[in-house]
Order: sequence, then structure tokens, then C-alpha cells
Amino acid sequence: MAEQELVTIEINGIELQVPKGEMIIESAKRIGVDIPFFCYHPRLGKEQAANCRMCLVEAGTKQPDGSVRMMPKPQTSCTLPASQGLVVFTDTVAIQKARRGILEFLLINHPLDCPICDRGGECPLQNNTLFYGPGVSRFVEEKRHLPKAFPISDYVVLDRERCIHCARCTRFSQEISGDAQLEFLKRGADTMVSTFQNTEFTSRFSGNTIELCPVGALTSRVYRFRARPWDMKSQKSICTRCSNGCNIWLDYRPNRLVRVLGRENEAVNEEWTCDRGKFGHEYISSDRRLLSPLVRRDNRFVTASWVEVYQLIASRIRQAVEERGAGAVGAIGGAHLSNEEAYLLQKLMRVAVGTNNIDHRLERNQVAGGDTLLARLGVPFTQTAIADIEKAKTIFIFGADLVDEQPIVFLRARKAWFRFGAKVIIAHPEPTETELRFDEPLVLRYRAGTETTLINGLSHLILQSGRAVTDGISLEELQASLSEYTPARVAQETGVAEDALREAANLLGEGTVILCAGRVRNHPEYAVLANALVNLTLLTGNGSRGNGGLNILLPEVNSHGAADMGVLPDLLPGYVPVNDREARERIERIWKASLPAEPGLSTQGMLEAAAEGKLQVLYVIGEDIAQKYHDPELAQRALENAGFVIVQDLFLTDTAQYADVVLPAASVAEKEGTFTNTERRVQRFWKAMNPPSPDVKPDLNIFAELAVYLGKPLPVFSAEQVMEEIGQVFPAYAECCYDQMPAEGVRWMPTLTDRGK
Amino acid sequence: MSEAIRLSEYPRAKRIDERQPPELRFSERAVQELERIKRHYPNKRAAMLPALWIAQREYGGHLPPEALMEVAYRLGTSYAVVEGVATFYTMYNKRPVGRVMLEVCTNLTCSICGGYEILRHLEEKLGIRAGETTPDGQFTLVEVECLNDCGNAPVMQVGNRYFGRLTPEKVDALLEELKNSEEHTVVQLADTIVQCHLSESERQDIERALAKAQAGSGGQDGQNG
Repeated sequence: MAEQELVTIEINGIELQVPKGEMIIESAKRIGVDIPFFCYHPRLGKEQAANCRMCLVEAGTKQPDGSVRMMPKPQTSCTLPASQGLVVFTDTVAIQKARRGILEFLLINHPLDCPICDRGGECPLQNNTLFYGPGVSRFVEEKRHLPKAFPISDYVVLDRERCIHCARCTRFSQEISGDAQLEFLKRGADTMVSTFQNTEFTSRFSGNTIELCPVGALTSRVYRFRARPWDMKSQKSICTRCSNGCNIWLDYRPNRLVRVLGRENEAVNEEWTCDRGKFGHEYISSDRRLLSPLVRRDNRFVTASWVEVYQLIASRIRQAVEERGAGAVGAIGGAHLSNEEAYLLQKLMRVAVGTNNIDHRLERNQVAGGDTLLARLGVPFTQTAIADIEKAKTIFIFGADLVDEQPIVFLRARKAWFRFGAKVIIAHPEPTETELRFDEPLVLRYRAGTETTLINGLSHLILQSGRAVTDGISLEELQASLSEYTPARVAQETGVAEDALREAANLLGEGTVILCAGRVRNHPEYAVLANALVNLTLLTGNGSRGNGGLNILLPEVNSHGAADMGVLPDLLPGYVPVNDREARERIERIWKASLPAEPGLSTQGMLEAAAEGKLQVLYVIGEDIAQKYHDPELAQRALENAGFVIVQDLFLTDTAQYADVVLPAASVAEKEGTFTNTERRVQRFWKAMNPPSPDVKPDLNIFAELAVYLGKPLPVFSAEQVMEEIGQVFPAYAECCYDQMPAEGVRWMPTLTDRGK
Repeated sequence: MSEAIRLSEYPRAKRIDERQPPELRFSERAVQELERIKRHYPNKRAAMLPALWIAQREYGGHLPPEALMEVAYRLGTSYAVVEGVATFYTMYNKRPVGRVMLEVCTNLTCSICGGYEILRHLEEKLGIRAGETTPDGQFTLVEVECLNDCGNAPVMQVGNRYFGRLTPEKVDALLEELKNSEEHTVVQLADTIVQCHLSESERQDIERALAKAQAGSGGQDGQNG
């Protein structure tokens, strides 16, 4: 960090040093002086709006003779930058009077319906009125009347009478999410927040405006009237809806989740949540949760005890191993499990069953654990930290509708452009919503299927320009392989104009962040494309993990963790190849067990084997493969033809309909553990509620107990203990011990030498 | 006055897909004008006010939602932002208005000098109340605040002209004149304001470009977004 210039200021007679230019409202926090506000929000905008006038202070400057020259009028402290010799008073008689006046004005039109308002109890207007407002209003006339609460989307309810026109929601939608769907209509006393022509508020970040609203004007349709803030408990958790690992609060009443709020983590989600995360956790308190183990008898499910199902499963697995060998047992799942559970799952399969048939991937790319990237860049999937995206010089969004696929990564990318002026290139075969959120980005509209040609064409141009960085690549080989990708040919094949290609190549350089998602992961020739992307990354000088880098963002909450934990047929925890004897023996010593040396079947391989009736036992954990596998038909055939199907899930999913045994698992709110997000950040989540029934168990317990029944107990008593063991097996996780883990989590840094150690 | 809201009706409609451009109705001239006005500003969005005036002219004197959508599309901004700007300023008409708008001042000076008599006279004569439009769509009568021409009170603004020192007789004569005149219409006011944003050379440029487009076949498709 560069040294910041400090200035000496004085607040209420207390002298303090603060960075030059810091807003006084922030400086006051340093010495615990409370300045009330409504519209101020440190993350909104380049400049504050200063339109609520609540944070007024009296200010002046020290003169050389020691006297203080006061400014004639009170100043808004949210726009008053600290400068040398500034003197501020926050609690003078004039300021107290001003605050009373502002609040009296705000309350002229604000209805006093606090007893039935969702914000009541956590409302800044209520709080500020209590502490700073007048006890009585002189306004006895009829208040302004506007439409009362009406829904503007599936999630948000708008009450125009309650609005105090702080502009937080409109600023959020214009500056942060960029969709600008909320705006003030009319002026003066008629001002009101609205969407265009009262149409639906379809922002993917609409939930944040609810949290930002300092009154009850924007409320959640889901949470509405379900609880009062004071009869909820909160627990820290991690959002499970995508691989970004946003930090959230789970607010719950006894055993019922009522809402999700964003939790601050500078490194991941700042404080935002997307709507999927904010409103997508209702399933936890669903009535349709599985409440006890089920066993299929006479073609229908009957409830059974855990002892029964464990015995049944153990006998079927033993039978399969005896008859056909351990290779006749396979497990699919892990991307939705915590690290500890994923680790224990693969240990169960490898040690207790003795097979490497284990995989967590449901997408078409089933190349071993990000092979190309790991070998050439030293990272499994992503080079850039989420927080570093905002430092990028150029952002190259390649084949991804980022708003849809990785909403919070999109917010960072947009911040990089909006706040820090990064250039944006978007390559996608179709018009995407993401394009609309930037002003005139460079759009490369290539034909689907020509991804590799496009990337090679860009690499070719960079090589030609002489700007190429050639560390760590064999230049001649690359030149030879790229020589055929001339701009003219690439333009013809991809359908992207030659000028656009050249412009894009000029923008690519050091500090370029490449963001890819599903389209790249599911590309039919993933390995070739990944190689081309790595070439481009290296040529632009982003191989060494500066601010730039290549990022293939992952689909599920713990896709990265499952890969780290070795829920892969060919890699043990820590990306250790199973056929690397020395490395395997190191893990064998820790586990005190011998491990199978032959790589197992990938998901595709297992499903194909099962479809042909070669797989005796198929164990599916937390994945609805009948629906979500990239080839659902194959998955369904596999489930039909597998000898014995065990499904472990929260619900009776489509996959569970094929099962012989269904095991009820606990949701993320009912257990503890860690998730590893797409940037390799290991973050903890805590147990909030009890499972809906005593027969619902965390996956960790199920794996541990199953191991006992299989005769190879894996002694564990808690997730914390498992994490300690993971730290021994995979040293990169050594820092992730629960008692040492910092609040923002641990982003583990891979080194190539980890491999095979 | 707030509009009554029936909860079951909200949200009123699914949001229009922004990726699809709205229906574009700007004439070739309007496109050319907007193109030049945009160059006066550091970014496209800053041209919002003149662009709305162009739209008000092109859409026949008022700004229906489609006009706001077209402006938003041409300036690369969101529909809501344009609606916010358009509803902020009173001279953009959000509802359909008559061909000619009669804006009668009833502020202090004018009301002392008989502004209200003029207004009442017009109401009687046209058979409408202030704020309404005659059934034949000829006139819209509006009561406005100070027009900044107190020296000639009572004053009425009609399109791009002020008429001062009004008497009921003068007003009658003026109405007859306006009925048959193409001058002082709402559309013409919008055009006057648009032309104020363009320099002489730009106007000539536009004429040349239009002549050229007419000579050529078809010309541009009008999408310069």
C-alpha cells in the first residue's frame, strides 16, 4: 500500500490524524463520534449524494494565528473531505436544532405506521428520530398520499408513502448493478421512486435495495410480516447458490429460516448479494424436506431406521466388492458438500470401499482437475482474486453472461470499469445482458464453436505486435502453431471484424483479467481451448499472478473444494495423481491404509458403466443427476440399470425416484464446515438451526457412520478435526484450522511443487 | 393527485427485454439532428434534454412511453432514467395534448391585471377546464406560473410566442387566428428548441445529408445507437 498523506483535524475538540480527503463522516467513526445519516453509503458511487441533510456538522479551518474561521453554514459531513487544520463540531446547539428540523421535515410525509412496518426495530429513521428528533411534530395537516405497499417484482414491495428520497436505491441500481431500473419520477413534493412505467423490477440485485433502504419503502416480499427483527437469531453462513462463496447472515426463528442478509467481506462480496442468494435459500425450511431414511420395498418408499439402511448399504457394497471387485461401486457428488464432507467421502470410497470411482463433475469438461491450467499456470482454475478484478486494466469476459452466471464477480468487473476505468471486452456469440451494463464495451460477436480460433487469432496479433511476453513458453513452437491464425482468416471464420480483433488485441496486455464460465467449461474441446487461453494469458504477461490472469469460474458452491479434496477419479487430495507411487504412499501413511493405484471412472465413465449394468452400487450425494447432468438421458439410463442406487439429498429429487435407499441430509444451515470458493478462498460456515427432524444427519456423520458399518472406521468427531487432517494431507490447507482462520477466510496459494509432494 | 392502485395489477407488465431494440420512429432528420447534438457533449447521455425535445416533436407533441424508450435506446441508457428526466421537467408533455397549447399566467402581476379573467374566458369559450384538451384536439388550456413577462401582463404563452396585454376580445381574435394557423403549435415549439441546439453550419450539414440520402436509394436505416 502506498503511503497516504495524513492531515491533522479536530472533531469536537479531539485532535486526530486521518488520511487526506477522507470524508468527515468516516473520520468521526474513528473516535466514536456518532453522526446520524440516511443517504450516505461508503460503497455507493464516486461521490455521495448528500441529499438527506442528516449528517450536517459545523466546520471551520484553523488560521495561522490560532483562531478558527467557521464556515457560515453547516456542512454535510459525508461530502466534507478532511484537510489540514479542519475543525468540526458535531453536537452544537445549532446542529441539534438542524437535525430536529430535518427529521421533522422527513416525518411530515412519512406515515407513522411503524408497528406494521417490516423495518420497525431496525429502521434508521426510527432510530435517528429517537436519538435526534423532536418529540412532537407541528404538522397537523393531511399528509401526502401515494400508493401504499404494492409489489414491483416477485421479491420487492414498494411503499411510496414511506420513501424519504435518500436515493440510495436509485444510486445502487445506476452505479453498482448498472441496470438503472429504479429512478425518481417528478420533482419536489411529488417525487417518487419508480421503475419505468411501473413495469417489473427485474434487476438481479434487487434484494440489495431492500437492505439499503433506510426506511420501510422497499421491503422484501418474501420476508414481509414473517418476523420482527428482535425475535430472530442470526448466524454467519456462506451462500450456496454459486461458486462465489458470498458471505451471508441467516436470520431464523426457531428452526425456520426467514431471511438472508448480505454479510461484509471485502475480499468476496463486499456486502452485496444477488437475488438468487438472497431469496434462494427458502428450500432450507421447506415442508418437503426428507425427514427420515427411506427404503424401496415393493416399488414404493417406506421409512426405515438408520441402522437398517446402514446395514443394507454395507451388505450391498460388500456383496458388490466380493462379486465384481471394488470397481463395481461408484460415487457421484461432492460439489455441494463442505470440504470436510467431500474429503471424508473420497476417503470412505478409497479406504473403506477401495475404489477410485468417485467424481463431483456434472459438466462435460471432465478433464482431470483443471489439468491444463494446473500444469501451465500452477493454479487449478482461477488466477485472480475476486477483489483484484477491480484493479484490472482490461477485463475480457469470454463466452460468459456474467450477470447471470457469476453475479457478484460481475459487480467487481463493473466496479473496475465504473470506478477505476478499466476497459471491457465482451466476447459472446449472442447478445447478453452483461453487455448492456457497460457503456459501449468492445463486443466480439463470434460464431459459436469458433472459440479456439478467436483466442488463437488474438494471440497471433499479440505475437505480431511485438508486445508479447515470452517467459515460460517455447516461442518458436507457438509461432508455428499460431501462424495460420491470420487476422483475415480468423475474421472470416469467427465472423468478428478484423478491426475489432485488432482493437481487442491492443487492449489485451498486462493486467488483463480473463473471465470465463460455463461455455468454456462445457466446450467440446475444452483441453484445446484451455491451452489457447493459457497461451494468451502468458503472452500478455499475466502468467505470474499479477493483477491479471485467467479465470475459469466454477459452477457449484464447492466445486473447487471438491477438486481440492480429491473427489476426482485420478487425483487424491491436493491434486496428487493416484498413480504417483511416492506421493500416494505419503497419504497412505497418514491414513494408515492402502489405496487403489489405478485411476477410477469419471462421472461419464461411471454413468456409462451403470447404463450397461456394470456398476453394482451407485452412490449419489447431493446431486440431482437425472436433471442436472449435461446428458440427462444417460444419467437416467444409468440410474435405471445400476444394481443398487443410494441417493443422499435434502429432497426426494428426480434422481431419488430411482433410488433403492434415500438418506436425508442436513442443509448448510444445519451443519458446520468450510467451502472453497472459485478463487480458492476457504471460508467457514456455522450451524444455525437444528435439522427438521432428529433423523436428518449432516453428510459428515453419514459418511463416518457408513465407514463403521463397512468395517473400516474413519475416526472423526467433528468437522474441525477433519480439517486438521486435511491440513496434513494437503499442506495448502494447513492454515485453515478453525481456530486460526481469519474472518475473511484463507485464500490458499498453490505452488507447482505442492504437486506430488 | 395519486392514481388509485389495484394491488393485483402490479407490477403492471413484465419488463421489456432490453436486448431487443424498441420500435424506432425518429425520422431521418431527427436522427441526423441527434447525431450532431450528441457531439456537443462529453457523453451521449448528456444530450438527454435536446433528445427529448426531438422526441416530443417526432411523436406529435407529447412523450408516450415509446418515445422515452426510443430516446433511451438512442442514448444507450435505461428507460427509467429517461422517464425520470422527462417527468422532472414540466415542459415535456407526458400526456397527449392538443395541437396548440394555451398557457395562461395567473401569477401575481397577471392575476392583478386580469389573468384569471382571461383564463375563465378561455374556459368558457373552449368549454373545457384548465388542464384539459378540447374534444377536437385543437387546444389544451393550462394555468401556469410566472412567464417572466410581467410588463405585458396578463400574459399567455402559445407555442413559441408570448401574447401580452390580453383582453377577452384580443383572446377571441387570437383563437380564430390560431385555429387556421400552422404557427405556434406544440410541435413547432419543440422544433424551435431543437433548432436552438444546432449551429447554422450544422443545420446546413443536415440539409446536405438529407438531400444526399434522398438522392441515394433508401439512405441509412436510422440506427446510430
